[in-house]
Amino acid sequence: MTIGMKLADTCARRAGLVTFVMVLVTVVVGTLAALPSIWEMFPDHKPLPGLHTVTVDTDPENMLSKDEAVRVFHDDMKKILSLYDMVVVGVVNEDDPDGVFNPGSLKRIDELTQYAKEHVEGLIEVDLIAPSTVDNIEQGGVGVVNFEWLMHTPPETAEEARSIRDKALDIPFLNDTLVSADGRAICLYLPLERKDLSHAAYVTLREKIATFDGNDQFYITGLPVAEDVFGVEMFVQMAISAPAAMAVIFLLMLLFFRKLVLIISPMIIAMVAVILTMGGLIIVGFPIHIMSSMIPIFIMPIAVLDAVHILSEFFDRYQQTRDRKQTIVKVMDELFMPMLYTSLTSAAGFASLALTPIPPVQVFGVFVALGIMLAWLLTVTFMPAYVMFMPARTLENFGAKHAGGEEEEAHGPLGRVLRWLGKLTYRQAKPILALTVVVLIVAGYGISQITINDNPVKWFTEDHPIREADRVLNDHFGGTYMAYLALEAPDEQYAAPEFLAGFDQRADQKADELKSELPNAPEVFGELKQIAAQQAPQADSREAVLKLIAGEVQQKYDAAPEETEFAWDEASLFVDAERQRSEVFKDPEVLRYIAKLKQALADTGVVGKSNALSDIVKTVHRELLSGDEQDFRIPDSSAAVAQCLVQFQNSHRPDDLWHFVTPDYRTTSLWVQLTSGDNRDMKHVEQAVAAFVRDNPPPAHLHHEWFGLTYINVVWQAKMVTGMLEAFAGSFLVVFLLMTILFRSALWGLLSMVPLTVTIVAIYGAVGLVGKSYDMPVAVLSSLSLGLAVDFAIHFLARSRRYLEEHHGNWESAVPPVFGEPARAITRNIIVIATGFTPLLLAPLTPYKTVGVLLATILLVSGVATLIILPALVRVLEKRLFSAKQEQPVGVTCNCTVCIVSSITAVVLVAMSMAQYWHVGWTTLTWVSLIAVPILALTCGVLSRRQACRGRLSNVGETA
Amino acid sequence: MKTLKMLALIVPAALTLALSSAAARAADPSVDEIVRKTNYVSYYQGTDGRADVRMKIVDKQGRERQREFIILRRDEPEEGKSDEQIQGDQQMYVYFERPADVNKMVFMVHKHLATDDDRWLYMPALDLVKRISSADKRTSFVGSNFFYEDVSGRHIEDDVHELVETTNTFYVLKNTPKDKSSVEFKYFKMWIHKDSFVVVKTEYYDAEPGADGKDPAPYRTYEALGVEDVQGFKTVTKSKMTDHRTGGYTEMEYDHVKYDAGLPADVFTERYLRKPPRKHLR
Repeated sequence: MTIGMKLADTCARRAGLVTFVMVLVTVVVGTLAALPSIWEMFPDHKPLPGLHTVTVDTDPENMLSKDEAVRVFHDDMKKILSLYDMVVVGVVNEDDPDGVFNPGSLKRIDELTQYAKEHVEGLIEVDLIAPSTVDNIEQGGVGVVNFEWLMHTPPETAEEARSIRDKALDIPFLNDTLVSADGRAICLYLPLERKDLSHAAYVTLREKIATFDGNDQFYITGLPVAEDVFGVEMFVQMAISAPAAMAVIFLLMLLFFRKLVLIISPMIIAMVAVILTMGGLIIVGFPIHIMSSMIPIFIMPIAVLDAVHILSEFFDRYQQTRDRKQTIVKVMDELFMPMLYTSLTSAAGFASLALTPIPPVQVFGVFVALGIMLAWLLTVTFMPAYVMFMPARTLENFGAKHAGGEEEEAHGPLGRVLRWLGKLTYRQAKPILALTVVVLIVAGYGISQITINDNPVKWFTEDHPIREADRVLNDHFGGTYMAYLALEAPDEQYAAPEFLAGFDQRADQKADELKSELPNAPEVFGELKQIAAQQAPQADSREAVLKLIAGEVQQKYDAAPEETEFAWDEASLFVDAERQRSEVFKDPEVLRYIAKLKQALADTGVVGKSNALSDIVKTVHRELLSGDEQDFRIPDSSAAVAQCLVQFQNSHRPDDLWHFVTPDYRTTSLWVQLTSGDNRDMKHVEQAVAAFVRDNPPPAHLHHEWFGLTYINVVWQAKMVTGMLEAFAGSFLVVFLLMTILFRSALWGLLSMVPLTVTIVAIYGAVGLVGKSYDMPVAVLSSLSLGLAVDFAIHFLARSRRYLEEHHGNWESAVPPVFGEPARAITRNIIVIATGFTPLLLAPLTPYKTVGVLLATILLVSGVATLIILPALVRVLEKRLFSAKQEQPVGVTCNCTVCIVSSITAVVLVAMSMAQYWHVGWTTLTWVSLIAVPILALTCGVLSRRQACRGRLSNVGETA
Repeated sequence: MKTLKMLALIVPAALTLALSSAAARAADPSVDEIVRKTNYVSYYQGTDGRADVRMKIVDKQGRERQREFIILRRDEPEEGKSDEQIQGDQQMYVYFERPADVNKMVFMVHKHLATDDDRWLYMPALDLVKRISSADKRTSFVGSNFFYEDVSGRHIEDDVHELVETTNTFYVLKNTPKDKSSVEFKYFKMWIHKDSFVVVKTEYYDAEPGADGKDPAPYRTYEALGVEDVQGFKTVTKSKMTDHRTGGYTEMEYDHVKYDAGLPADVFTERYLRKPPRKHLR
């Protein structure tokens, strides 16, 4: 009795118990998962210990783990420059000749600003950018400068409205940020304490906007809003697509088996598998991410698949015995191993996603794999139990129609086509393979054309309000996609002798300058140098030594007699000036470099606008002097820069400066506004800056580094491309290993990998040729389809092998039976899974659609490839395959080749995982592998020669 | 009310100062009296005054910046009035010393009760003297949490004053602006020490009191952290302004305070912006 039979027998006899346990586990898991969230709805609840509520995570930042260098840097910079994620409200008026710069529109904008201040929770009010909250600096007549609110109160006349526009356009910081360069639109920027408040802000603002009359259009956008809306849409998707998939599968099965009571069982299995997996996900405390929200829709078709096999067999056999238990035991005997292997390969395909360095993808992969194995477990236990619950009389006619069905089916349209196809593959094997090679070459070219690109805003469909807002606002403004370019001065290396050399030289120079006015300056500065010489060895940094010197000088000054008092005052001033030498971003040369860097950014064509410290200095300088263009420049000394900046801070918003530079003036950041959130464009800008910095080495040894969401997207995408490649390689190896073990032959194992490999290459080639961007969903698919599509190959090859065996290795005579029932079963399965994914097309979000379309295509193509390329290959390799088969030993370790191939595969797999998880260097791994492989090969050789194998070999020989 | 105001004007300053606290408690002064005395103690003590100020600006992240400057102040003399009665026009000269790169920068104000103030700025590195329009005095004073108006003093006529509470030690005044559009607060409250008329705390609110009459959370708070007796004048020597919205605060420490220093009027003219009056700055 095989394990499958034993299991089926036990489960059938203990049908009640099996069902009870299944229901109990499902209820417990479901409750544990749902309870905390329901509990939370009650007021005054206490958190339930150890349980997690359902959390949703739509933050693209989380595509990288929290301790990823770029995220750590991003968070640090956001903190030290007090930057927040912003909700952007764009206001456009297409009817008025002055756009929104008319009294009515400005009044409404002011009202909305006020309303936001009072009602938007978590708004960082001091950083709110709106006409009534920002400052204007301008000439106010001869010798007078004005600091005032840009729009203190909404204007009464059209002329006043236009003057507000002109003022804003004249301030570089506001032009193309607050007011569009065409002077017709306004953008309000609402920084929020936390991103998760943005949906509430969105709703609050919408409420207020709904009360406005007038013909202004309001567009609310910004990444935090997009993310939050995405979260909502994600649930819509789960509520629509998953049940729709269920319905489609249900209908298909009804079509195939025409027995309602029977096809309910796969539905139950699918439901239970989904509840257990998602429940497990929630209980463990993982948030529901865009990826994990797709788990149900992946598990459902796969879960149903095994049950379909069982039903199909049961359907065929029931009428032979008319005994439920006997039939199911027989069926399970037949299917236990294939089902285990198809489940294992599918699970391996998904589980390999754990090799990607992207946490949400890892969670997705692992839990889908878990779900698949759960579904398998449920299928092999619950199906026998369920069959026993069906009253015998309801099965009376079951499968009856099927008597002589084989004939009937074979002459159906499907049967005829498949038969013809079988003949074709035999006769035209070589042309088919040649064609395959051509397809592969074309696809290879296509793959080389793939553009790697993603854009979270484009996750929304074309007609979504967010996309519309994105389009309109990027049309009017310098861009709503923010990235930041940080420039940092390196830490200063301190060495007392070098410090003193510079200090003394400048002290002498200063003393010399002062000599005429203060005759005792040289004497005092000489004393200063002595103080410095005493203190320098005691300190470990420039800052520390200057602090020590400053303390000493202060004492000297306080005790100084009248005649040296001024000189000591100058000495103290000199020490402070020395301290300020480290404030590199007050250095005019550095600021001019930043201005040049800004120009380089603008030259990329993607950056619509950038804001930097240099603009602030230039603007203040211009207004302090003439107000004319000629004074829009960086002044010539650090002190002049500092004094301009003090004036900038004499405003309503003094802290605005600290968004651009840190108070120690050693870190600055450029705000870069991109008109496109495409990673490709961000990447282009990044490269342009790198090239600029290479060709124009920055002064003061500055180094640059990017941060901001738009940039983070680029980083995780780059990781995803390599990560997916590794995951794909990993799952390829796992599946290959499983196949080799299953078929006890490396050649057969390799053969089973062919159709899906061809398919994936072809599909990705097509993606490249069509010009579709290689984005997250496209990337994830490779591993998924691998695990799924190999099912067809397993079934096809397993059956082919059996028929080959039956026909003594004569493929020609094996073709017709192979293209009979097995080919039809495969075709049906292709239809079920491929159609099962199509409801994703109903989803309101692009990634789901992409997954739906591509997965259905991949499954269809790989199914077809299985039925065409595999038989053609078998035809060509007939001799080898058959002779290999003749020597087939029973144990894996008994065939030396199989053993070695498996060992090497396993070694590579382990090496890859180690490189991924423990960051072991490849050199080390190569050495370890080089040692491990020969040892394993030797072991294989020894094992294959052992007594047990010989005995079996001879046994096999005898039977053959 | 009018008579009270008259009375307050008539009562000689010396007498007021000499009054023991017990006597003061026996008859609480009128609101106007409190306002005027407070205004005097805060901004008008002596005929003139000077102080070294050390300013420490601290942001939410605890990062500190220092500024050091000297303030000279002179009250415009009014004939026949005692020192305490003089609460009229005033001049201020703020000379920056540190950090080194703003050394010699000067900010000067001619405060007028009847007309707009005149304000000047001298930036030595640009060798530039500039008039600043004084439309809005509620902007940051050189990047600190203090406003220009906090330094130069808010005109007492700009607000309606109510005495909302009298405790054992404080008069609590509620001040509501007459022109709401010119300021960012709805009202502010001052805790005035009963004996010295030193403002110990001021809270600014940007919303009206709740239905229960309770004040909303202040968004800005001033505190006097140190008071010393200088030449017989109660003088705040350390103060702090906290901005609850940004989480930052600024402390000012006054050193070498001197009243009645005999500052000549011409120190407070444009001529001295470029050429600081060294003698008076020491």
